[in-house]
Amino acid sequence: MLEVEEISKSFRERGKKGRGLIGLLQGFRGGREFFAVNNVSFCAKSGEILGLLGPNGAGKTTLLRMLSTALKPGRGTAKFMGVDLIENPLEVRKRIGFLSDSTGLYGRLTAREMITYYGKLHGMEREKLRQRMDELFNVLEMTEFVDKRNDSLSSGMKQKVSIARTLIHSPDIIMFDEPTTGLDVAAAEAILNFIESCKNQGKTVIFCTHHMHEVERLCDNVVILNKGNLCFQGSIEQMRAKSGQKLLDKAFLALIGLGDSKNAG
Amino acid sequence: MRAKILIVYLKEIKEILRDRRTLVFMVIMPTVLVPLLMNLLISFMIKSEKKAETEVLAFAVFGADNLPKLSEEFAKNENFRQVDVSSLDEAALSIKDNIIKFALVIPVQAQERLENSEQIAIELYYDNSSAVSRVRNRVSDIIQQVSDKFRAERLASLGINSSEKQENLISPVIIKEHGTANMREILGEHAGGFLPYMFIIFCMMGAMYPAIDLGAGEKERGTLETLLLAPIKRSQIVLGKFLVVFTAGVTSALLSLAGIGVLLAVKVKQIPAEVEIGQILSSIDLADLLLIASMLIPTAAMFAALLLSVSIYARSFKEASSYCGPLNFLAIVPAVIAVLPVVKLDWYWAMVPITNISLAIKELIKGTMNYEMFIAILGSSFIIAAGLLFFSTKWFERESVLFRQ
Repeated sequence: MLEVEEISKSFRERGKKGRGLIGLLQGFRGGREFFAVNNVSFCAKSGEILGLLGPNGAGKTTLLRMLSTALKPGRGTAKFMGVDLIENPLEVRKRIGFLSDSTGLYGRLTAREMITYYGKLHGMEREKLRQRMDELFNVLEMTEFVDKRNDSLSSGMKQKVSIARTLIHSPDIIMFDEPTTGLDVAAAEAILNFIESCKNQGKTVIFCTHHMHEVERLCDNVVILNKGNLCFQGSIEQMRAKSGQKLLDKAFLALIGLGDSKNAG
Repeated sequence: MRAKILIVYLKEIKEILRDRRTLVFMVIMPTVLVPLLMNLLISFMIKSEKKAETEVLAFAVFGADNLPKLSEEFAKNENFRQVDVSSLDEAALSIKDNIIKFALVIPVQAQERLENSEQIAIELYYDNSSAVSRVRNRVSDIIQQVSDKFRAERLASLGINSSEKQENLISPVIIKEHGTANMREILGEHAGGFLPYMFIIFCMMGAMYPAIDLGAGEKERGTLETLLLAPIKRSQIVLGKFLVVFTAGVTSALLSLAGIGVLLAVKVKQIPAEVEIGQILSSIDLADLLLIASMLIPTAAMFAALLLSVSIYARSFKEASSYCGPLNFLAIVPAVIAVLPVVKLDWYWAMVPITNISLAIKELIKGTMNYEMFIAILGSSFIIAAGLLFFSTKWFERESVLFRQ
C-alpha cells in the first residue's frame, strides 16, 4: 500500500545566462523557483497496478525519484506500508523495488555477483540470499548466464538481471519507469508479463509509461501529471468518460489539454 | 555501519581490479613503465656523458705555427683530430653543421711572447648551446697543460725549481674542506627530493582513474541511482568508495617505490661505489620507512577525497577527466617546490600542504627530521584530509550534485 500525501518538489530554474564571468555568476546564483511536482496526492493499494502518465517534463521522473527516496520532497510525504518516507527512508528502501529502462548494471561483475551485492546491502543472510537467488534465477530463466559478466550479455539478459536486482529483497512496492523503452517485442512482452505477475503476488505496482496499449492492458488505475500538477486520477473507464474519448491515446491528450475533449477540463 | 562500508569497498575493489585501464594506471605504470622509462633515461644520460667525454673531436687551428707546443699536445692526444679549414667563416659553418667541434685561433708570435713572459689569448670557437657538450672542458685541459709548462719554466728561470715551491708561490692560501654532512644526508639532499615527488605523483595518478570510475562513471552507467535506492546511508557509500580510491593511490605509490627500488638495486650493482651506497641505504631503518609510509596516508586520503568530490560532481566520465586533469597541478606544483634546493623544511613550509609532506619525507631520508615538525605536519595533513572527506560526504548528499542536469 502506498499513500502519497500532498507531495511537492521545486528546483531553481536556470535562466538565459550571459557570457563569461557574468554567466558563471548567474549560474551559481540560480534562477526562478519552479515546481517539478506540485501538491500531488494519490493512493495505490496492494495488488493494484497504478499507471503514472504524463508528457515529457510533466514531473514523473521527479515523483518517482522522490518515492524511491533518491530525492527528498520539498513538501508533503508518502507512506509505504505505513512507513514514512521522510522519517525513515532506509526502511522505505527495504520495501521498494525500482526498475527503469536503464538497466544500470555493473558491467565488470557477473549477474550473480551483482545480485549478491544488492542482497548484502539489503542485509539478507547468506543462506536466505542464496535461496532467493536460486529462486529468481529459475523463474527468470537466468541460470545459463548468471556467471557471465554483465557487459557480455544481450539487452534481454541485462533486463532480466535488472529485474532480479529489483526483486532480490522481495519488495512490497515496485516502481517501473518506462521499463519497455528500447526493448524488442519479445523482451517487452516478458516485462509486461512480469508486471502482471507482481500484481498477482499482491504487490503494489507503480507503472510509468508512454505506451497507452500497455496502460490499457495492465493498469487498474491511472494518475496523470501535467506540468507538475495532478490533472487526473481514476480508472481507465473514468479516464475515457472524463475525456469523452474512446481511444486511450486521445483520452490522454484531451486530459492534458492537447486534444479534443467533450468533458475534459 | 562498518559492514555496509565493507560491502561497498569489496565490491568496488573487485570491479576496479577487473578494469584494464585501472590496472594500467595503478599497477603497470608504476611497476613497469616508469622504471623502464627511468632506465632508458639513465642509460641515455650515461651514454651521452660517456660519448661527450670520449668522442674524437675534429677541430681546426688557425696560426698553429705560432705555438707549435700546443699543436704537439693535441697531436699526442688520440681523442682530437685536426682537419684543414680554409677560413674562420668556414670553420664557423662547419661547427654549426657539426663537421668540426671547435676551432682555435692562436695569435701571432705566441711562442715568442710566452717566452718573453707575456700573456697570450687563444680564441676558442665552439657550439655553446649544447648542454651535454664537454668541448670547452676538454680543450681547456689541453691548453692548461701547455700553460702550466710555460709557468713552470718561468718560475724555474726565477730559481724556483721544485713543484712544491711553485705551488706554494701560486697559491699561498688554500682551503681544506671538511663537510660535516654524512653520506646519508648528502644522498638525501640530492635524491631525497625526487622520491617524495614520485610518491605524491603516483598517489594522485593511481587514485585518479578509480575515482572517476566510481563517481562519474557510475553516474554515466546509471548504476548510481540504483545504488542510492539500496538501504545504505549515502555517507557509507562515500566512505566505501573513498577507501577504494585511497587504496588505489597508496598501492600505486608503494608499487612505484618498489619499481624504482628494484631499478636502483640493479643499477647500484653496476657502479663501483656499490658497498658505500648499500651502507647508506641500510642506514635508513624500519622506523624511518614506517614514518615515510605514515606520510603517505594523509596524502593519499587528501587526493582520494578531492578526486571523488570532483568525480561525483561531473555528469560523465569525459567531464570528470577534464576536471581531474588540471587537478594534477595541485600535486605537481607543491611537490616540485619541495625539490628546489633553496626550499628547506622550516615552520613556514611546514604549513604548506603537500610541500610539507614532500619536505618531511626528504628529511626522513636524510635522517635529519625535526620530530616536533613531523608531528605538526602529520597532524595538519590528517586534519586537511578529514576536512576534505567530510566535504566529500556532504557533497555526496546534495541532490544538485547527484542529479545535476
